[in-house]
Amino acid sequence: MADSVLRPVGGKAALAAPEATVQLIVFQLAGEDYGIRIEQVREVTATPEVARMPKTPAFIKGIVNLRGDIIAIIDLEERFGLMPAGRPLPERSYTIAVEAADYTIGLAVREVPRPLRLPAAAIEAAPEFLQDSGQRERYLEGIAKLPDGSVIIVLDMRKLLTPTEILRLPN
Amino acid sequence: MTAREQEYREMFMAEALEYYEAMGRHLSELERSPADVPALNELFRLMHNLKSNARAMGHTAIGEVAHHLETIFGLIRDKEREFAGSLVPVIFTGLDALGAMIRAVGADQPLPDATDLLTNLDRLARGEEPVLPAPAEADGAPAEEDGRKMELSDLVYIQVRKLDKLLNLVGELVIDRDRILTLAEEIGHPALQATARHLFRISDDLQYSVMDVRLVGVGVLLNKFPRVVRDVATAEGKEVELTLSGQDVQIDRNVLQIITDALLHLVRNGVSHGLEAPAQRAAAGKPRVGQLRLSALTERDDVLIQIADDGAGIDTEVVRRKAVERGLTTAELAATLDEQAVWAFLFEPGFSTAAQVTDISGRGVGLDVVKRALDSLGGQLRIESVRGQGTAFTLVLPTSIAVKGALLVELDGRPYAVPLLHTDTVLALRPEEFSVAGGLLLAHVQGQAVPVVPLRELLHVEGAEPLPPADKSRLQGPQQVLVVNYNNRRLGLLVDHFLRQQSIVVKPLGKPLDTIDLFGGVTLLGSGQVCLVLDVPALTRLFVARRA
Repeated sequence: MADSVLRPVGGKAALAAPEATVQLIVFQLAGEDYGIRIEQVREVTATPEVARMPKTPAFIKGIVNLRGDIIAIIDLEERFGLMPAGRPLPERSYTIAVEAADYTIGLAVREVPRPLRLPAAAIEAAPEFLQDSGQRERYLEGIAKLPDGSVIIVLDMRKLLTPTEILRLPN
Repeated sequence: MTAREQEYREMFMAEALEYYEAMGRHLSELERSPADVPALNELFRLMHNLKSNARAMGHTAIGEVAHHLETIFGLIRDKEREFAGSLVPVIFTGLDALGAMIRAVGADQPLPDATDLLTNLDRLARGEEPVLPAPAEADGAPAEEDGRKMELSDLVYIQVRKLDKLLNLVGELVIDRDRILTLAEEIGHPALQATARHLFRISDDLQYSVMDVRLVGVGVLLNKFPRVVRDVATAEGKEVELTLSGQDVQIDRNVLQIITDALLHLVRNGVSHGLEAPAQRAAAGKPRVGQLRLSALTERDDVLIQIADDGAGIDTEVVRRKAVERGLTTAELAATLDEQAVWAFLFEPGFSTAAQVTDISGRGVGLDVVKRALDSLGGQLRIESVRGQGTAFTLVLPTSIAVKGALLVELDGRPYAVPLLHTDTVLALRPEEFSVAGGLLLAHVQGQAVPVVPLRELLHVEGAEPLPPADKSRLQGPQQVLVVNYNNRRLGLLVDHFLRQQSIVVKPLGKPLDTIDLFGGVTLLGSGQVCLVLDVPALTRLFVARRA
């Protein structure tokens, strides 16, 4: 498991490391690890009851009541075209509430997201050919390489969360 | 003194003291840098407002001093005088005098005499030297000290935004309260039930108190119209007598704000299109002076604002013809419409029957602004018109925007709320009671054929594809029909069940979903469940655009 080699948040290793670090919330999409900088995340919670919203693309799972705020829940696997659109959410899923400039949106994921601290230098800018190609690559900040050789795709939510971008259909 | 007069006086006092203090500040700035244009403009504006307020409240003495000072500031602004020399002490004396007069109003005492001051201000206005009192600094000191008394107002100014937040919080509190009450009943613990009932009473009081704080008299808007009517009448060569009534009717400040433009439009329209020219009136055997009545009254939980004229009335046939010309309907369909349905076209975007484009009303904006404002509030428009006798437009408005009556319906296991303002009637019909004509399912309600569409189809119709043609054979068992009403058009919606009627607090949909206009917002039910609020105007428009 990649987990075992990661330095835990606030752990001794992190304190000892003098270099600049970044903290990510890491989650899985279609079996790959993705990360969002923790500054862009408002909270992580079990997904509340979702009300399906007609007249929205299938990757928008609906709206939920998150502590009195009504926010939209999207499925990034479908939004990025990694999975066929229109699947129902499983019985138990998790929501990462992400802050855009003037609204909050929920990303529904199937596995428990986890925090991770790593040196800022571990995030490499994505190769340019990648940035031009597919759906999710438009929103890449970079690729984080972990000591065990695994990688985390770091997303820049600010690029994804403009209202026109978020509603864009895959391709 | 009535409670209302008392309230007006307190408001006058609070504003006057605020102006007085601000003017003191700006005057000091002006003394430091006599070329300070913003300070001078601000002084001119504040003085003008104080003058208007004082005169409106009948404090002519204050109005007089303010008027004289405003004149001097005007002269300084026009570079005809300088803020220097003997003018400065006179102005400061003038401001002190205003302060003393305002305080006298507050203390219910006779206003101090200002004859000498006014004479001096007149001299300055004429370009003469003022007669300054002998330099008796010692004598002047006590009076001056009195003039510098610190004042704290009894009123607090609150930004409407803060009240909005308070109202939203109360709305959420009420939702949680209902939930606690439900849980307490389920658990059945007597002490918990008693506490829950107490919570219910307190939060009810709180809700009404917060709603009450936001209420203003409709008069604050209506009282602006005599001037508007005068200007429009002059420009159009009409003779109009405007009657106002119901200024004391209370309404949410934001509701009033939203309908301001709509009302302005209807009043202008009433003068320029509703009322005939004096000669035309005389020829028709009517008095030359047209009557325009602007009135407000409460009806149950709603506020009605009516604009009525005794003009020519709506020419239904002209509207019918124009609607066809503008492509709003087909000639065949237009011929079948009753006059209410035809009048509804007046409020479609871009519709105008005015042959001549006038300065006042024909500015490319139609009466559709009225409809838009009402839609955003969940209000309704009633039209009555008799040829040759006049037209009355009635705006039916909610007293408060926060809490709306709604009917909850269920579709595919999910609740949807429909604002009561747009619901007409509910029916349970057997399949054989429907008929099909032109691909449309029709129900017969009070002798009128009302088109019926499954709500499911309206909500799920994709892109620009038309609705599937009606097929009666698909109807199984009794059908639940909710008849909604928008712009005098009735539409039946097939739903699975009717749940109940309840008060809801509508929360707007946030980005990025606010572009989906079928929903007016969401509400949280007592169970914490999210419930979409259907927007009847948008549903009706969608139906008209997509019907097979």
